[in-house]
Parts: sequence; structure tokens; C-alpha cells
Amino acid sequence: MMPVDENGGLQRIYVHPLPVRIWHWVNALGFVALILTGLQLRYVDLFGLMSFRNAVNLHNWIGFVLIANFFIWLLFYLFSDKIKVYHPELSPMKHFRGSLRQLQYYGYGIFRGDPNPHHVSVYHKFNPLQSMMYQVIMLLVVPLQFFTGLLLWNLKYFARAVEFFGGVRVVDTVHVLCFIFFVGFILIHPYLASLGHTPSAHFKAMITGYEDVDKESE
Amino acid sequence: MTRKGANMASPRIEDAARHAKAHRVLLAGAVAGISLLLAPVVAAGAADDALSEADTACLGCHSIDGMQKELPSGEVLSLQIPGGAFAKSVHRVIGCAGCHSDIDPGTHPAAPRDIQSLRQYAVERAEACQLCHADAFEQYQASHHAARMREGHPIAPVCMDCHGSHSVNPRTAYETCVGCHSAALGMHGKWLPNAPLHHEVVSCAACHAPAAARMIDLRLYDSAAKKWVTEQEGSPIFEQLARAADADGNGLDATELRNLLAEINRGAATPMTLRGRVELRTAVEAHRLADKAQAIRACDNCHRYGSEPFQNVTVSVTGPDGRPVRYPAQKEILGSAFAVQSLPEFYAIGGTRSRVLDALLVLTLLGGVGVPIGHMTVKWLFRRYRAGRVRSKGGNDAG
Repeated sequence: MMPVDENGGLQRIYVHPLPVRIWHWVNALGFVALILTGLQLRYVDLFGLMSFRNAVNLHNWIGFVLIANFFIWLLFYLFSDKIKVYHPELSPMKHFRGSLRQLQYYGYGIFRGDPNPHHVSVYHKFNPLQSMMYQVIMLLVVPLQFFTGLLLWNLKYFARAVEFFGGVRVVDTVHVLCFIFFVGFILIHPYLASLGHTPSAHFKAMITGYEDVDKESE
Repeated sequence: MTRKGANMASPRIEDAARHAKAHRVLLAGAVAGISLLLAPVVAAGAADDALSEADTACLGCHSIDGMQKELPSGEVLSLQIPGGAFAKSVHRVIGCAGCHSDIDPGTHPAAPRDIQSLRQYAVERAEACQLCHADAFEQYQASHHAARMREGHPIAPVCMDCHGSHSVNPRTAYETCVGCHSAALGMHGKWLPNAPLHHEVVSCAACHAPAAARMIDLRLYDSAAKKWVTEQEGSPIFEQLARAADADGNGLDATELRNLLAEINRGAATPMTLRGRVELRTAVEAHRLADKAQAIRACDNCHRYGSEPFQNVTVSVTGPDGRPVRYPAQKEILGSAFAVQSLPEFYAIGGTRSRVLDALLVLTLLGGVGVPIGHMTVKWLFRRYRAGRVRSKGGNDAG
């Protein structure tokens, strides 16, 4: 993708294609709704956002929408060269050094005003920490959450699978552990997204598709 | 099935009991000769399910194939009694005369009986049930079934319609209720999420007898054979093991339950598990079924942490006669961290939630809010330092 604009030391590059942006925002809204309805289901003694039955029905419908949405993401990347953004760094030492540098930036350099060690480009939009996290999230945690949710949606229909995985409590415990992970994620993710060159830069980029990056990073 | 009614000091019941005893003696004498003739046919000494001589004598005639009576209503009343089923029923011990004390052996079968219709006969026979099951009958009288009966509804159920007649045995409420309410599953499926599962793990009366007290019964299940574990006659091992596991005698706690299961499954190729059901604390209250408009529909009656059914927990095995053998357990076992291991097949959203996972969620919430706030605070504290570095860098660049 060619740069489309230049502004001082920054230039605009197209890093978030339309299918990814649609998937991202549907997923974001859906996950917030799933977390709220999930909290209502689990803590009906503490919250009164809606009735338990409405929470069940909403949770189920949104779950199916997000499962379909997941396939938008999966099919887009499977049939696009953009899948390179998810390619793992095959050198463990290089990955480890990159991750350490990124951690050092978030835990120290960012306070001093050091530049972000990761330079975004079309095929390298994730820093080493993001790269590792999003591989685990998108290929393990999200599918696990959808799969356990599907089993819990109709326990009689999926009785054999539920029994195979050790029983309804085991399946539910995995579902709840993933839920707890996503509660943490949904709180931390927007904050990290606000650490661009301006607080709203990454948010705008996920709407327009264009990210402002340093000229020399392209 | 309770025996509580038999202990109640009701003159009516005492009279009935005296009649029953007298008739048993008379019947026994009157048919003793027949019994001798039948001895080679009806095998004696079949131990626990052997019928008394008097009952065997009754069956001398009442086991004849096709024995029946035509009623004025045009219906046919079968007089053939399934002897084998009766011998296995819980009513074997009271014998034929226990319910048929109105039969005078001196005049039977010649004495005319005024049986106009099957319905009239069923209603009349229900009076015999009250003699022992007065408490269940009292609950029934307050039920929707009884109300429809009083209104003259032609198929409003009486005792036999749900419990059968000569093959009375403990059955699950579901098996009993769907006999008439065969459309129930489809109807529930229209509004109740996971309806087939609810029908499996929630006793019908748990929602349809809203005034009754509920509990969680954790029943031993054989996953390999796909059936409830039934204890053998004469070897009440389950209660012994449960009592031994419950060292402090205050009901099984999470560790004791785990130990009990380990003991039960010692050496077993395929371990037995516990499957939970929402049931009534006393089966008698299951007779007080309300109109469906009054049935519990609010999910949080069970799916709320600390809700009423989850306050009482028992661990049980199906006894030799089909009735559960129960041992009390502490309610905390349902949300224990050990439950993943000891109760993998019982979970109700909200009602049995794990305290460990609750704590993990709170920690995550604190971290999810605290980390950004902490990070922002440190960034704010360093703002002048950063500004100074930028000015210094700008100055150097200009130089």
C-alpha cells in the first residue's frame, strides 16, 4: 500500500482493511455485550440490567453473531496476503529481545518520552507482544470461548461432547476462565490503544483504516 | 413414598387398619385350600418378592388371562392382576387386603359390586390410598388436579392415574407427568432455554408445586452403563461409606465428598459420578401441584447465588426398592474448587458458581482498572521530565 498523505514527520499508511475494521468493531461491541449479559447471568444477585431469560437469549444470539463474525476475520486473512501480520517470528531470540524491548518501553521508556521501538508497517502492524498475544487470543482463546459457549447453548444436543470434555462444570469453568480473561482484555486493550502518538490516533486508524507512522518506518 | 400417614392417630385410619387385618385373616382362611393346590404353580421361597399365601390365593383367580368385567358404561374392567409386578411393588408388604379391605371373602366373588364406570371405580379406589397416605392426600386436596376433579373434569387424575394400581413403585416425576402431559417438552421449549436439559435435571414439581421446599439431590450415576446406580438388597453400603466419610457428622463437606467418591470408585474400571437434580425435600409435597399459571417461571429462583433450592443438598443412591437412600451434604460443596473434580456433571449458572472464579474475576477487574490508572498516573508524574527532554532534544537539533 502506497503512502497517501504526508504531514511533517508522519505519513499515512493503510493498515486496517475494511473487513478487518468491520470484524473489529462488531467484535468489540459484541464482546462488551457478551460480558455484560454474562455478568448478568452469573451474578443475577448483584445486577439487574435485564431478566435472566433475556440475558440468556441475548447472550446466545450475540454469541452466534460473533462466531459468524470470527469467520469474516478468518476467511479474510486466509485469502489475503495480510495474513503476514500474524506470521510468528520464527527466531525465538529475536522474538524474546523484541518483546523485552517492547515491555521496557511500556514500563519505562514511555515515561521518559522514548520513541516506541516498534515501527508499524502494512505487513508488520503488531509489535512482538501484540503478535504473540493476538495469535494466542485469535487461534486459541476466542475459538475455545466460542466452542464452550456452543456446548453450553444446548447441553443435551452436545451431551456426548460435554461428557468427552469432562462434564458440564468443566466446560463451564473453561468458558468462565476465558470470560475473565476477556474482562481483563476489554479494560486493558483501549488503554493500550490510547498510547499512540496522540491518545485517539489508533482509534481513528481502526475507523479510517489509515495509521500515521514515522516516515522512515515505511 | 412416605409412611408418615400410618403413624397419625386418625380413627378412620385405625378402623381401616383393623378391617384390613380382619380381612387378611379371613381371606387367608377362605383360600387356604386353593393355595395348597396352587403351591406347585406359584413358586414358594422366592425370598424378598414372594407373595403371602393370602395374596397367592387371590391371584389363583385374578391371574387368569382375560378375566374381566363388563361395566354399564360399556367399558371393560380388567380383573387380571399382574402378579409379578405386584410382587415387585412397594405395596407387596400390605398385600391385596391392604387396599381391598372392602372385599368380604365370605361373599366374594358372588356379591354384586356397583361399578358403573372405570372412572367411578378409580375415584372410589383412591379412598383406599388415603388410609395410609393421608398426608399426600391432604396435599393433593390443595392441588390443581383435585380442583379439576371437584369441578367434574372427566380426566382429572386421581391416585391411580399417576401411580398405577398394582405395580406401584417409585418413579420420577417426569416419567409420571409426561404420561398425560406429553406436550410438555414442546411447550417448555417455546420459552425455556435448554428445555430438554431442564426436564432432565429439574423435577416437574420443583416448579409446578411452588409452595414446596426444594433441594439439590446428587445421585450416583454410572456413566459407562448410562443408568443410575442401584444399591443391592441387603447391602446398604452407600450409607455406611457416607457415614464413614463424614468424620465430623455434620454433612459431607467438599473434601469428605471427594473421599467418599474415591472410596466408592476404588478399583472401579469406570468411575461413578454424581448427577444433580432439583427435587422437592419431601415427595409428599409433589402432590400439591398448582395451576400452571402459578408455576415458577422466574429463572432466578434457581439461577441466583444462595437461592432456596441450593440451601439443602443431599448425596444419594437409588435404593433396592427404587427409593433414594440419601445422606446430607453441606451446601458449600456446590461452589467448591473441588467440585470440578467431584461434581463435574452438575452445574447451574449462578446457583453453583465457584468462589475461586469469583475471586479471580474481582482480581482481574481490579487489575484491569488499576493498571491503566497506575500507568497513567506515572506518565502524568513524568510529564515535566518528558517535556524537558523534548526541549533539550529540540535545542540540540537546532544547534
